[in-house]
Amino acid sequence: MSTSGFALFGANPVFDKPLPFGQLYFSSWERYQESFRGIFERQYYTEYGPLNQQIEQKLQQFLGVKHAICVTNETIGLMMVASAMGLKGKVILPAFAFIGSAQSLSWAGLEPVFCDVDPDSHQIDINQLAELVDKDVSAIMGVHLLGGACDPQALAKIAEAHGVQLYFDAAHAFGCAVDGVQIGNFGRAEVFSFHQDNILNATEGGCICTNDDDLAARLRTMRSSAGAGKPVEVTKTVNGRMSEAQCAVALMSLKDFPKNRQNNQNLHKIYEAQLAAIPGLQLVKPSGASVSNHQNVVCRVDESKFGISRDLLVELLEAENVNVRRYTHPGLHRSIPYVHELPQYLERLPNTDALSSSCIQLPIGALVTAQSVARICEILNRAHFAAKDIRAKHMSIATQTN
Amino acid sequence: MFSTPKPTSNLVRPDFDKFLDYSKIFFDRHQYTDDGVMVNQLEQRLAAFHQTTFCVAFCSGFWTLALGITALARPGKSEIVMPSFTYRRMADIAAWTRLKPHFCDVEEDTLANSAATVRPCINDNTALILGVHPIVKFCDIDGMVDLAREKNIPLLFDSVESVYESYAGRRIGSFGAAEIFSLGASKLVNGFEGGYLTTNDAQLAERLSRLRNFGFDRQGHIAVHGGLNAKLNEMHAAMALAGLDDLEDQVERNRERYLTYKRLLAPLKGIRLYEFDESQKPGYKNIVIETLEDWPLSRADTVSILNAEMVLARAYYTPPLHRKRIAYPHVPAELPVTDRLAERFILPPCGHLVSNADIADIVELMSFIAANASAVKAHLQQQAELSA
Repeated sequence: MSTSGFALFGANPVFDKPLPFGQLYFSSWERYQESFRGIFERQYYTEYGPLNQQIEQKLQQFLGVKHAICVTNETIGLMMVASAMGLKGKVILPAFAFIGSAQSLSWAGLEPVFCDVDPDSHQIDINQLAELVDKDVSAIMGVHLLGGACDPQALAKIAEAHGVQLYFDAAHAFGCAVDGVQIGNFGRAEVFSFHQDNILNATEGGCICTNDDDLAARLRTMRSSAGAGKPVEVTKTVNGRMSEAQCAVALMSLKDFPKNRQNNQNLHKIYEAQLAAIPGLQLVKPSGASVSNHQNVVCRVDESKFGISRDLLVELLEAENVNVRRYTHPGLHRSIPYVHELPQYLERLPNTDALSSSCIQLPIGALVTAQSVARICEILNRAHFAAKDIRAKHMSIATQTN
Repeated sequence: MFSTPKPTSNLVRPDFDKFLDYSKIFFDRHQYTDDGVMVNQLEQRLAAFHQTTFCVAFCSGFWTLALGITALARPGKSEIVMPSFTYRRMADIAAWTRLKPHFCDVEEDTLANSAATVRPCINDNTALILGVHPIVKFCDIDGMVDLAREKNIPLLFDSVESVYESYAGRRIGSFGAAEIFSLGASKLVNGFEGGYLTTNDAQLAERLSRLRNFGFDRQGHIAVHGGLNAKLNEMHAAMALAGLDDLEDQVERNRERYLTYKRLLAPLKGIRLYEFDESQKPGYKNIVIETLEDWPLSRADTVSILNAEMVLARAYYTPPLHRKRIAYPHVPAELPVTDRLAERFILPPCGHLVSNADIADIVELMSFIAANASAVKAHLQQQAELSA
């Protein structure tokens, strides 16, 4: 098959304009206007205002958790949790995770210990985790990936057996559940992200969930929001507030959640059906969760069967105006500054290395239609059949450029 | 006296239709954060406003300052010199950057730090000098710029309270290595939450725009260490842009409030209005008054009586940071001028929710307190005994 049909080699792109990557669910313009008119009338802009109180109550109800504490964004939320839990020394987390998870530890003065992941589920490797706990470790940060869940019960057993604390980065997991228990209820705290790329969108934002009253009181004091309960003693405060504007958008997004999850599920099914027919592309199904939000479409590219590498496939799709991501590439242990500061992990995490060099994340969300999924899969199909020619042409262009 | 609280927060409300016009731009692009068009527009407007080459926006003033410190601090050094008579979370910001606050004293006539108060705090461990502009007028800009140059230590200005002001013919924004500002709802430009840093240093601006986004460069690689998520979202940027459109009118409204206080407080014995220097083109956002020797009540009693009447006056930067219990490493300090000043100043209500008629009522209340000081004191004494 010829390469002439691909935008990477001069053809017109399949999509006229870039197809965005994130979930990007947002209210209608009419609802936005109405909601913000209310804020302007009340003249209450931040500091635990009426919408902040409302969203926290609704999140508590929705998740069945005692405390939902909204924050500026998830990374700041993770930093607050690490500080409010009084963590010291080292914290274990999977290396196959977003950089912000590790950075939250560095900002809290903690050293990350990188654990490998399971090659199939992509979630933290429970067996290796147990071996990594030593006297300097004060906590485990579980990370729920891809609309699935790491095994919170197994992690709880390990944490309890070793006397260390357990909390979760639940950025991808809003609305997911494990055996009927909503994510948000595990460990001492779980932190969601309300960034536009996730199913619950506050533009930026996040939420710390906990069933621990003392921890909640410390977090509310730390966040520095007037009127959010009686202040208690904390080591240091932050500005971790989520504004009334963010809360307004989050409230509308929460209302739309069932509809948006259904849309994700429908699109996911189309991807699943169409990708199954393409050799060398394996859709990673959300694992470990009894209910998923289906917010991530991640594919593992087996170059030997698909014909071209993950990195070349990224170039090819982006040329067609399909925004994709190299999913958590590179692993945290190969990212600045950990690659220099903690070189001991470089040879220890083979599954993370293999996954971070072979996974690709495809668009799913508000701006993705069934038709666009079909067109993306059609590009992937054509790429597979033209793989040999694509490789050769790409190589020859690279040689000429050099 | 009032049925609704009269705050000291600016809480300025921009024109709603303008906010919607800006919002429609990002709404139609379906991009709500991550270096969006509103944030870019805001940064350009603010750089032009402050007469600097670069402006980098962040999610709050708190994290603007934390990342500014991170980017500028001398590597391997452990202390940051800062006043104690300042924003209540200033030392916490330093603690998040893992630098030790080394508190310096302030000048009696500016309520702010100066070359003379900073110099004794400089040592081999000094990583950074933080010059902090007070609520009214300036800290010692020239003196600290010269000192920083002499000692080869970076100087960062916290200019949260001096957005509109000019010094030596230039608007605040381009002094020292960089200056930081807030877009919080209580500030001159209300962005719900937010902050920004201005500088003429291209490398610094580039580094900070990466640090606020986890350290990612434009190719999506982590290029610098020390990053986190400190991005400003598009709604907040839209709000700040609408606020900038209204800024000249707002300053005029603020000035009217200031002049009302000035006129009405003039006959009140024992209270002195801390006056702006009109030549510095102030923004007149907050009002500072001083309780003098002949004011018949303590500052604390005055504030609590006002608060009980929904006049949410606040004690100015009290307690100072060196008098608070601090649970992280810091350099203990004896600061006699700060201690003395910390007992005297009050921030009375101001901003968008306070009318000139409210100000007349507030001053009348203060006159009443002064005229009936003995009875008021006796009543307070009685209350204290009862609660004991």
